[in-house]
Amino acid sequence: MTSSDPVIRLENVYTAYEGADRPTLTDISLSIGKGEFVVIGGPNGAGKTTLLETINGMLPITHGRTIVCGQDVREDGVQVRCRVGYLLQNFAFDPLTPFTVEEVVLMGRFGMIGLFRKPRTEDYEAVARSLQLLGIEDLAARPIGQLSGGQQQKVLMAQNLARNPEVLLLDEPFSNLDMFAREEINRLLAILVRSGVTVLIVSHAFDDLPDGPVRVVVMQEGKIVASRECSPEEVEQVVRSAGKGASHA
Amino acid sequence: MLEFIIQNNIVCHAVEAMLFASVACAVLSVIITQVQISSIGFTMAHAAFAGAAVGMFLSLNPTVCSIVTGIGVAFLIGPLSDKARVSPDTALGLLFGICMAVAIFFIAYMQTLGQGFSAMGLLFGDVISLYREEVYLLAAICIVAIAVIVILYKEITAIIFDKRIAESVGVRVKPVYYAMLFVIALTVSFCLPIIGGLLLYVWLVTPAAVALQFCNRLSAMFVVAPIVAAVVSISGALVGLEYSLPVAPLTAVLFSVVFIVAVFLSPRRRVTFRKT
Repeated sequence: MTSSDPVIRLENVYTAYEGADRPTLTDISLSIGKGEFVVIGGPNGAGKTTLLETINGMLPITHGRTIVCGQDVREDGVQVRCRVGYLLQNFAFDPLTPFTVEEVVLMGRFGMIGLFRKPRTEDYEAVARSLQLLGIEDLAARPIGQLSGGQQQKVLMAQNLARNPEVLLLDEPFSNLDMFAREEINRLLAILVRSGVTVLIVSHAFDDLPDGPVRVVVMQEGKIVASRECSPEEVEQVVRSAGKGASHA
Repeated sequence: MLEFIIQNNIVCHAVEAMLFASVACAVLSVIITQVQISSIGFTMAHAAFAGAAVGMFLSLNPTVCSIVTGIGVAFLIGPLSDKARVSPDTALGLLFGICMAVAIFFIAYMQTLGQGFSAMGLLFGDVISLYREEVYLLAAICIVAIAVIVILYKEITAIIFDKRIAESVGVRVKPVYYAMLFVIALTVSFCLPIIGGLLLYVWLVTPAAVALQFCNRLSAMFVVAPIVAAVVSISGALVGLEYSLPVAPLTAVLFSVVFIVAVFLSPRRRVTFRKT
């Protein structure tokens, strides 16, 4: 992969859930470069989460090709997931879940460490660094089930950052966060993008996105109906107009 | 192995068998309860029971038959729920019913043929007539169960935490998950003649449930659960043999008592009271 190659490339991709009689994603073609900040918008059920899980290979691709970080997702899904962070939308941990925050963040490196190997000093250092980045180092020894929803979300973010991802897929990352935490995460995302990390974010909250150019991808009924670059202030307008245009067509 | 403490060979073998079976089941009980596959463990235990009954009837090796049916059922759950368009929970219920029906049918039929005694051992367990080799085999199974957990500890903890998150961080969830099911089926099949098909489930759930009352960390549960199981099982074997009581049912009752006491003594319970 050369530096000019896109980090994410989807070519005529169709994705279907097991047992479904029609694909959830239809004929998706998309190319995203290194260090791009991409907002994926669209109504509920448009296929936004499915797109993220197709990119990291968690869902089967029934047709087409997805190349991420130079690797074919269909063949090297596990290796791709070691290089791509993914913050899931729905999670809630039982208060009795027997894991501390530090243990959960360390799990972010398990794929990289590989089977039959134990975490080494560098893995624990990466955990400490990402806890610090999120400002939750004081929670390290706390059981994750006893934290608030926002704190749990930060822990999962730290888990993803612990493996120094080249691509970060975030599904509704602000849903449980207060305004201060949102600002903090946005600042962090801006730093990551500047350092060359590609960020794809599914969100319905467009009011305080990080500064800098934003690529907006709008989805509807499993298809991409718009994809264009704009300023953070214009994102909501682009999503609204693309959604209206597609529903009138 | 324990002859230097227990001179009577029958009692010694019974205690050793209960020790190894309980430790193997207890470490797996942590996985079963924390991955929330209790229904799978429950159905596998009864499938192994049915396999052993069929094997006994057909004069085949009951242990081999129970391993085959135990593993077979674990792999059938997914396809059955897909093809029959029922939830995995319903598929498990169906399989459990079929396994119980097959097991009871063959045990009842063997009783009419005058082979009832050995078949009843499958139902309630039998620790009296054990050969040294059988005890060694249980020791080997116990070591295998512990070794698999130690080797795959990292992956197992990620799966216990959340299967989807484990997959998203690059853990090979499917092979590890099936390895876990395989070890459960293997352990269940070898422990079946000792503990009995109807009671085995107590060993596969209760030790972890007791450990959870006192442990905040998974690693601690993997230590506490087998210690609890070993103490309860050895006590059950010694008391049962001393007073001519059925060993496995007595131990199962002891497990229940220990669980109830643990719930009342649990520091976690006290924390909950303070919060409300």
